[in-house]
Amino acid sequence: MRLTTLLSMAVRVVIPKDYRYGTNRPWTMAAKRLNPAGKRRRKVFVEPVAPEDWTVVKGDRVEILAGKDKGKQGKVIQVFRHRNWVILEGLNIHYRFLGRTSDYRGTYIASESPLLLSDIALIDPSDRKPTEVEWRYTEEGERVRVSVRTSRIIPKPLVERKDSIVPEQWKDGPKDTSPSDTLEKTYVPSLKTLEEEVMEKLGIQENRRQRTSFWY
Amino acid sequence: MGVLSNLMRGLVRGADRMSEFTSKRGSRTHNKGRGARPAGLRLSSRKFLTIRAMVPEFVVPSLDGFALKPYVSYQAPRGTEPPLTAQSLFAEVVAPQIRKDLDDGTFSNDNLEKYGFEPTQEGKLFKLYPKNYVR
Repeated sequence: MRLTTLLSMAVRVVIPKDYRYGTNRPWTMAAKRLNPAGKRRRKVFVEPVAPEDWTVVKGDRVEILAGKDKGKQGKVIQVFRHRNWVILEGLNIHYRFLGRTSDYRGTYIASESPLLLSDIALIDPSDRKPTEVEWRYTEEGERVRVSVRTSRIIPKPLVERKDSIVPEQWKDGPKDTSPSDTLEKTYVPSLKTLEEEVMEKLGIQENRRQRTSFWY
Repeated sequence: MGVLSNLMRGLVRGADRMSEFTSKRGSRTHNKGRGARPAGLRLSSRKFLTIRAMVPEFVVPSLDGFALKPYVSYQAPRGTEPPLTAQSLFAEVVAPQIRKDLDDGTFSNDNLEKYGFEPTQEGKLFKLYPKNYVR
């Protein structure tokens, strides 16, 4: 086959139909071990949840209903939609050795295990107990999550930026335009193009015209 | 199929024939340009005559008292300006003039040039279609 076809195959990612998703990123060695090429594994069945019915978001506070850490509340760190998994911070942990070599047993760390959506419940902020959650519309027309037991709106968790910048506490540097200058409306609509306006402003006269040219 | 199909599993042998051969590849005596247009004439005496008018010149106004800087503060909220379309530009610039003339009774179909109508793009320095300037 052609070299271009081969290279374009490498660029365009083809995921096999019975690809088993794990907690590792797909390009890591662990994920490749989970999906050895040429081996057909038993299929993992996942309860289908429509995208518009998905209620748990990264950063939510959630309580565990079943398992080792039953009854504990924690913050969602990661959400795996394709397996209905949720990873909580510091909960449902097991210990393992990381970075093992032939002579070093590795660092002993705690690693969280994913929890299924059915073993999780969002917490009602008013009484801090787990509840069923529905998507409903407010009077303004906004789509919000509402707890079924007490019709309290569960607000969306604050999204922290990856570079941990909090816009409210940001101090402008010498190269930053202040918000007032940014939002100032100085555009005067006119039918001239930018180039014509600049020529007019700087007083540039251009009476020569381009000679017509042809290409075949 | 051929040889490459058998070597597909591992690494593919041979040089990359399909990539673009730019001036970054090749030996140091290999002189290849990147599409810059010549700013003059090549004379028969193998010299190059630079024509001042063909050399691009940046026209920059003075930036005294210019408040905008390269970066925007994180505190600035998203702006609420609607996107500029042809309809909105017409409605802001031309429509009030036409409305005023209609009310005065001086509107006529033959005199559309005074509202900015251009029947042809001939004779203009910056033509809108076919666009003859680079932006």
